[in-house]
Amino acid sequence: MSLQFLNAFRFLKKNTIIHNLDPRAKLLFAIIYTINALMFNEIVPLFILFISLIPLILLGRLFKSWFKSLRGMSFLFIIIILLNTLFISLNFAMAMVLRISIMLSAFSVFFLTVDPNDLALSLISMKVPYEFAFSFSLAFRFVPTIAIEAQNIMDAQQSRGYEMQQKGIINQVKNLFPLIVPLIVSSIKRAFNVAEALESRAFGSEKKRTFYFTIKYTVKDWIFTCYLLALLSILIIIRINLPIWLKWSIPV
Amino acid sequence: MSLVKFHNFYFRYKGNKIYALNDIKLSIEKDKFILLAGETGSGKTSLIRCMNGLIPQFYTGHYKGIVEVKGRETTTTPIASLSSEVGIVFQNPENQLITMNVEHELAFGLENLGISPKLIKERIQEVVELTEITHLLSKAPFELSGGEQQRVAIASILILEPKLIILDEPTASLDPLYAQKIINLLKKIQEEKKVTVLISEHRLDLLISLVDEIILMKEGSILIHDSTNNVLESEVFDNLNINKPVIYSIFKQLNLDQKSIPISLEQALKRCAHKNVK
Amino acid sequence: MLNDMNSLIHFQDVNFSYPNGTIALMEINLKINRGETIAIMGQNGAGKTTLIRMLNGLLRPTSGRVLIEGEDINTSSIGSLSKKIGIIFQNPMHQLFSNTVEEEIKFSLKSLDLSKEEVEQKTISILNEYRFEKYASHSPMNLSGGESKKLAIASIMCRDPDILVFDEPTLGQDANEIKFFLDMLKKESKKEKTIIMVTHNVEFAFEHVPRVVLMTNGRILADGPTDRLLTNQTLVSRSSLILPNVYKLKLGLKTIGWEVPDNIIKKADMVKFLSNYFEKEKSEVN
Repeated sequence: MSLQFLNAFRFLKKNTIIHNLDPRAKLLFAIIYTINALMFNEIVPLFILFISLIPLILLGRLFKSWFKSLRGMSFLFIIIILLNTLFISLNFAMAMVLRISIMLSAFSVFFLTVDPNDLALSLISMKVPYEFAFSFSLAFRFVPTIAIEAQNIMDAQQSRGYEMQQKGIINQVKNLFPLIVPLIVSSIKRAFNVAEALESRAFGSEKKRTFYFTIKYTVKDWIFTCYLLALLSILIIIRINLPIWLKWSIPV
Repeated sequence: MSLVKFHNFYFRYKGNKIYALNDIKLSIEKDKFILLAGETGSGKTSLIRCMNGLIPQFYTGHYKGIVEVKGRETTTTPIASLSSEVGIVFQNPENQLITMNVEHELAFGLENLGISPKLIKERIQEVVELTEITHLLSKAPFELSGGEQQRVAIASILILEPKLIILDEPTASLDPLYAQKIINLLKKIQEEKKVTVLISEHRLDLLISLVDEIILMKEGSILIHDSTNNVLESEVFDNLNINKPVIYSIFKQLNLDQKSIPISLEQALKRCAHKNVK
Repeated sequence: MLNDMNSLIHFQDVNFSYPNGTIALMEINLKINRGETIAIMGQNGAGKTTLIRMLNGLLRPTSGRVLIEGEDINTSSIGSLSKKIGIIFQNPMHQLFSNTVEEEIKFSLKSLDLSKEEVEQKTISILNEYRFEKYASHSPMNLSGGESKKLAIASIMCRDPDILVFDEPTLGQDANEIKFFLDMLKKESKKEKTIIMVTHNVEFAFEHVPRVVLMTNGRILADGPTDRLLTNQTLVSRSSLILPNVYKLKLGLKTIGWEVPDNIIKKADMVKFLSNYFEKEKSEVN
């Protein structure tokens, strides 16, 4: 099922060194790895970057979910490889796939290990207003719920003869109505229910909000930050002065 | 003073021609266990939404009349400040669990009210013991069963220490054994905390023998609100299309005097023992 | 064919686990005959909804076989299985999407290869049967909860499946709505339809359903007559159910020394039995 791929971004509480890092440190990690990936077009440095992610993934005991998320993207990868090989080169195609894999993996590590509520706290610490930060974490909380609902809708419609495959673009779009309309209707209904439950628990009270849980940048977060910054600087230097062996490309 | 008092209240939702609530006169007193029953679509949920100001502040529409919570009008008092007087547990527990772990879930309402983390910790301790969810504190909502989710939803309201706790069909999606446990828990909370608990429920069998008062609704109006015995003896109860308790429906067919029809197993056995057939 | 043709539905050693590894069904063996009415009961998460989703191929067994009229479901598509098996899900909001009630019915008929006239005719007859004539051109979104549940049922019934599967049909329904459902059940049962319902409603199953399958933790705990299974305290509590009130009354009466014959089972029996006693008592007093 295609929705299975959403599981790759679903936070599950575990007690590992990666999970215990401050969400801000992990956000920095995802951003820096994205920048790193964007700096290079060559296969070798991208491959090394990709490999450097694996220890983190293992330390966080995330291998299964991470692998699933990559597999979920396999369709996209095939398209990228086909198109780029046809129009540019196999070398470029592979580089693109590596680049996307790095970015996907970095963000996948982020979302898999950051409790959405802590994410809200870190946004608040970056001066984002509470209401915005909270809606962000709320959205994450409801992703799996809505995925289940979408599956139920699909099951209900298929049980009355609905079929996915249809020929022609117009038919294909029209064919989405039986799935999308119920999903929108029930999501709106759910949104109202969530909102009234929030109201009933004093959300938006005029009093100044307190925070029962807090997040703290500790020594291990600083060490991790230093590593990330060092990596970034070294890569910038390499980028400016790229050694020949890093320029190796697939001989086609 | 009544906890909640309706003075000839009318309400219709925006865009609707029909009044969801008609001329409601009602007062809810303290330290009671109350059942709210009626056919589907009779306005039970709308009535509940009035009791903490969701109607007309969140669900807007046309209204007439007044609803007061401890003397404060619900049309003007912010819902957030009414939340420490009236707490509502809604039908679907999943939509009420909005954080990623139970402890945070419990803290959420108190954080909003600006309570200090130290006091929050104390209250969490107290409420998890009462609702027997200590072992769930670090779990995520989707790791919980339906019954556990409902317990957490109840605890997250209980922690705000409201004087009136309202539950809209709290057992709808639970299996019968869990449903019974939840009802018994609510009875325990009501007695220990000396609060009023009001439950809207289709399965009367589960709680009819525990309630002090019954409110019956039909087509947006309150037909009767009285002590359990008085309501059960009334013709209104008999005529309403609600799921009558099984014991009641058996003895009803025996052409007994309406006043002597038992509603629970205990009453039925007393009734039969009294007959002393042997 | 070698398979047991007598049973309409046959689960043979069925196991099922979800892609994430959760085991939902274990060693399910179950036979259901044509024309039977059967309730599947048990705690939430016991595997009931997984089980019914196998009937029309929404889920396929990880191992073992599900046979319908002797044919393995793995050889058919969801589309063709759904012509024989109609599943009515719990939440009607998950399937209503059309502009009008009439179109909602027509959508269900679309995949049946009917002529235009037949579609018109079937639509009219189902709208009449479910008393939707007045609402034919209304939006399904404006129906009340009870009415939209009825429309969801109608949207499956118009396809005239042999096997009807209901997921929690009485949930949140009042006495009127339950009566409507019961009448429909009796009518369809007379037409030799096979009816399977997943339900928590012990009282309803005890009164109106002859056979029950109790499930717990992905396994079948017991399978047999409702009268026997739902009055077994051990089975009942292991499947998170409670004893039916009539039975509790019978036990209670015995404890206060009444002699209650074994054939007093359903509500109607109990009423008859009690009325004898109460009549006798009355005449003695007089």
